[in-house]
Amino acid sequence: MTTTGFEGIAINAWSVWLLPFIGAAIIAAVARAGHRVRDYAAVGFALASAISAATLLPLGLEGAEVHSQIPWISSLGLEAGVLADPLSIIMANLVAWISFLIMVYSTGYMHGDRDLTRYWFFMLFFIGSMQLIVLSDNLLMVFFGWEGVGLASYALIGFWYYDRKKDYVGVEGHIAGGIPMWTSPTHAGMKAFLMTRAGDVMMLAGMFLIFAYAGTFGFVELAEDPAWAFAMSQQNLLVPAAVLLFGGAIGKSAQFPFNEWLLEAMTGPTAVSALIHAATMVKAGVFLVARIGPLFFALASAGAFSVEQFFEVIAWVGAITAFLLATQALVNPEIKKVLAYSTGSQIGYMMMGLGIAGLSVNFVEGFTAGFFLLISHAIFKASLFMGAGALLHGVGSRFMSDMGGLRIHMKKTYVFMLLAGLSLAAAPVITLGFWSKDAVFASVLESGYTFSTPLFIIAVVVAVMTAFYTFRMLGMAFFGKKSRHIEEMEHRGHHVHDAGPRMWVPYGILAIASIVIGVIGFVFEADLEHILGEYLAESFGIQGGEEASEEEAPVTIAPEGDRTWFGLNPTAAIASIGAFAVGGALGYIFYIGRHVSPQIISRSIVTRAIWKFLYNRWYLNSALYWGAVIGPLAIYRFIWRYFESTIVDGINPALQQSMSYMSGVVKAGQNGITQTYLFVFAAGIMIIVMLLFL
Amino acid sequence: MAESYFLLAATFIPLLLAPVAYAIGRKAGAKPATWFSFVALAVSTGLMLIPAIGVYTGQQTVYVEQYAWGQFGNFGLRLDGLSLPFALIIYILCTVIALYSRPYMVHKVREDLPGHGSGGEGGGGVGHGSINPSVHGSHALPSKNIESSSQTTVLDTQQYVNNQVALYFALYLTFSMGMLGTVLATNLIEFYVFFELMLVPSFFLIAFYGYGARRRIALMFFFWTHAGAVVLLLGLLAMGFFAGGFDFDTIKANAGNIPGQWLPLIVFALVIGLGVKLAAFMLHIWLPYAHAEAPTPVSALLSPAMIGIGAYGLLRLWMELLAGTGSYEQYSLYINMWGLATMIYGGAMALMQDDIKKVLAYSSISQMGYILFGISSESILGITGGTMMYITHGLGKAILFMMAGSIILQTGTRSMAKLGGLAGKMPYTAVIAMIGALTIIGIPPTSGFMAEWILFNGVLQTAVAEMDPLRTTMFALGILATVLSSAYILWMYKRIFFGKIPEQLAHVRDSNRYITATMAVFAAMTLIIGVYPDLFLNPITDYYNDVMFQGQEGVLPVPSEAAGTDSEVAPENVEQNSGGDESAGAEED
Repeated sequence: MTTTGFEGIAINAWSVWLLPFIGAAIIAAVARAGHRVRDYAAVGFALASAISAATLLPLGLEGAEVHSQIPWISSLGLEAGVLADPLSIIMANLVAWISFLIMVYSTGYMHGDRDLTRYWFFMLFFIGSMQLIVLSDNLLMVFFGWEGVGLASYALIGFWYYDRKKDYVGVEGHIAGGIPMWTSPTHAGMKAFLMTRAGDVMMLAGMFLIFAYAGTFGFVELAEDPAWAFAMSQQNLLVPAAVLLFGGAIGKSAQFPFNEWLLEAMTGPTAVSALIHAATMVKAGVFLVARIGPLFFALASAGAFSVEQFFEVIAWVGAITAFLLATQALVNPEIKKVLAYSTGSQIGYMMMGLGIAGLSVNFVEGFTAGFFLLISHAIFKASLFMGAGALLHGVGSRFMSDMGGLRIHMKKTYVFMLLAGLSLAAAPVITLGFWSKDAVFASVLESGYTFSTPLFIIAVVVAVMTAFYTFRMLGMAFFGKKSRHIEEMEHRGHHVHDAGPRMWVPYGILAIASIVIGVIGFVFEADLEHILGEYLAESFGIQGGEEASEEEAPVTIAPEGDRTWFGLNPTAAIASIGAFAVGGALGYIFYIGRHVSPQIISRSIVTRAIWKFLYNRWYLNSALYWGAVIGPLAIYRFIWRYFESTIVDGINPALQQSMSYMSGVVKAGQNGITQTYLFVFAAGIMIIVMLLFL
Repeated sequence: MAESYFLLAATFIPLLLAPVAYAIGRKAGAKPATWFSFVALAVSTGLMLIPAIGVYTGQQTVYVEQYAWGQFGNFGLRLDGLSLPFALIIYILCTVIALYSRPYMVHKVREDLPGHGSGGEGGGGVGHGSINPSVHGSHALPSKNIESSSQTTVLDTQQYVNNQVALYFALYLTFSMGMLGTVLATNLIEFYVFFELMLVPSFFLIAFYGYGARRRIALMFFFWTHAGAVVLLLGLLAMGFFAGGFDFDTIKANAGNIPGQWLPLIVFALVIGLGVKLAAFMLHIWLPYAHAEAPTPVSALLSPAMIGIGAYGLLRLWMELLAGTGSYEQYSLYINMWGLATMIYGGAMALMQDDIKKVLAYSSISQMGYILFGISSESILGITGGTMMYITHGLGKAILFMMAGSIILQTGTRSMAKLGGLAGKMPYTAVIAMIGALTIIGIPPTSGFMAEWILFNGVLQTAVAEMDPLRTTMFALGILATVLSSAYILWMYKRIFFGKIPEQLAHVRDSNRYITATMAVFAAMTLIIGVYPDLFLNPITDYYNDVMFQGQEGVLPVPSEAAGTDSEVAPENVEQNSGGDESAGAEED
């Protein structure tokens, strides 16, 4: 259904992203009416946006599409518009409702902060920008939202701009490769902004390339006429353009090699971290890939040219990131950072799924797997982050070694984090994490891609590590004895207790949701696959594999997988369960049962070296600073000192001096002494004579 | 003869009223002088808006007022899609900054009083000296806040301040007139006269009210830009001589008469002469000094409004008047490289500064590099982007210079090493400065993004159409340089507004309304243009598409869905396409 302007259901689609912006615009004015009103208003706008999104949901589940455009930059023939198709409607609802819960949580978590108006402004701005990315019908507007989330994350990561020591992340005094590894909030904000900006310019370049050929940014228009893609592939520009677009996704989703900002982003308030990691910002990159992936795939199959390298890049970037960040999560002492590494790693999985989709015979399966993981990760990671925020509040420290034994004092947080944690670790059958991860495994196995085996092995290894670090985190926080820090606190009369209902209800809801949906996970997955399959078929003409005609049984459309047990691929399921068992068991032994002390790794020089390598983040951060900050600055300083300050600035004095020298020369001949004049005159005559005769 | 006199009035009202402003200032004080200048400029802007609306709505593509001017031809004032954005931004900046000047200049003059502080040639010593704890926004109301022992000193002081501020506004109004006249001129001689007319008052403004070694720096500024102007004059005279007249129309019609061997020399003279004004790489020597040491309201006009006129000159004199002769396509690649070098060099040097105003000065150099990069892109999109860049840089850099002024007023220093954590103390300044910063970085929804994406899009379009690896590399470097811009701007912002507050600044307050409200006007404008760029884009693209580059080969049209099919399949053929096809494509949208 295409409409022009604000009509009918299209209004709801517009208001999903407009409402948060309107809220952000007026929040400062509302704040004059009192703090309580302001807080309610902020949460209210998030709720209103969520309700608008929910009104679209029936349409999305039917597979309908709302496309509404209004004139925008008429001089360049560009229009603004929203495109609410099943993909964006599902995503918009996910973003809206999780954001709403995080806003509710914020009223508790941020209670009493003196800069709450600014906080609400940027939170609403953040949500609005994300919804803009989700619902825009063209790349240019997506880029507006894209930079909007970048800006909001910059402002919120550095929210506590006065840089108190307690807001830092990293262990003070930890230096790796000559680079300090602890960071102030404002530094972290800047780092996030600049690193994602580097990705953004790649995305811009990709957009411009496409615009130069297609003359439009619109997704619908791009899909309609494949001529531009054909022309680009003739010039070998299509894959570079697609990869450049993906560069933006790499930056925003903190994929290798732009992964380093994500860890420092933990300096923001925990509610912000939850928003960044669950619903906005990092998911923007995945969503963009989900938006453009099918487009390029469909164009390629229509025009009979290959964009396989593009999907290969996506899959491998995902795999590398998943592995890289999972290894680092194994050794980190800060709870929020463990979760941050885990996010990066899980997003690697999503990218792997979306990438493998384009490499396999059945595009729908991998696509569904990646998107399903996005949904499930949003739910459990939001819950985990909010739970971690409650722990931070309760204990007053970001280090897990300052926690311990909290299952008694913070029972609710314990239960909910355990549930959500099980989902992250992919505990079999009952959790959302299991089904989604299994779907990724299966799609990799069934893809028929040449290098699917190494990808699968990486995926399984990462799953083992995921289970391990999840149990490590839960064990260190909730099991064992109370830490000295807590004992001191209790000594001083502070008793650790659970957070108030405004905080625990939101993460409770999400934790329970991750299990409830997990229990019916296979049905959920089948439905999702059905919806997305229809969406892909309708919008892009992508059919779900060879047996796509069997629409009544979408679960079994995989080409050769003999899915017997809940439609699972047996290899994938066994690998997934095995990974959980191995990783979970190790985590249990070391951190929950505490049968073996983790200190044993310091006994061998090899394990210590590995630990140090991982703890220093593979020295990637150090390399980044040396290569991208210190190195260029040294060059600039050299130019500044020896070119700008000496040569360029020397031009003026040099001119001045040469002028005074010249005037000295001229003056010397005009000293009023007749002999000198005669001498000069005679010399002149002689020169002229010589010139004439020679 | 012209039927209406809007532009004539808009241009000369400020000049005619300059002595009045001086008299008012002397007799009645700073406040009436400020408001008088403001009203004079606002009325002039309003007068200019009347024909501007006609141009905007498309009633007249070109609005010209012409008066016979003896042997030079005609003295004309012309408003079209090219001069409209420049003229409008210049006058809007001048009008609003007039109000901003009041608290700043009163404070500055007071600081320079003989016997007050370091005074004299050493200026206020801002940026060199220590933080002056006695500085507060209360100076904005001088008549009520003088704590002197003897009545006569009070009166003398008061009279001195009035005299100085009165002179300031007189010069300020003349300066405004010079800038506007330059962009409206329709005659080479007229262009040159106005070009120099804007230099003279700015020289005095720096020499009288600047910081540091201000007279020396003002002289340096004068010599450099004057030397540039003289080179430019040679080029203009040659153009006029060969074309048989100094009117733009005559030259445009007879550009083909310029002998081939003279053309490179003329282009060289134009580019160097205007390049000095633009502060292109290696001709930028004067700029960091002049911008840093000028009184801040003047910096806020010099940097965004004045230096960009160099770009206007290139667009008008080189690209429009010499269009048919092929000089643009021949040299654009080199200008493109020069722009890139300027962009990166300015950005890199901005990172090395500790003085806020020097960061902004180098940033201006870098931004002028963007404009050069855009206008030499051989694509209407790129040229449009370059023009938009002038608008957006005007607004953004004005905000940032005004922020610097606000900080100088409140803290007495502009060395970032002595600043920090001011976001909590000066919230309004901080918020508006952030919008300015985003404009310079080019983040939506500020106008900066609108300029940047159009500009870079155009550059890439040419690179793709020509399949030129060199242009592609330059595009990549150019777009990466925007990261450099983000870096120096954000780092500056962090050092001023974030972190711990130094003890001396614990009692700093935000600036008064003259300062924050004027900044807010520009912030609102950049946001509006950022969301709805058609306000400026419409006349610009109309003019470029339909008049300036119509049928011109070597300048790529705006890509569009309907038009592009030919060029899409084989984009390398675009250059060989006849101009008629291209403009036909452009007209379809």
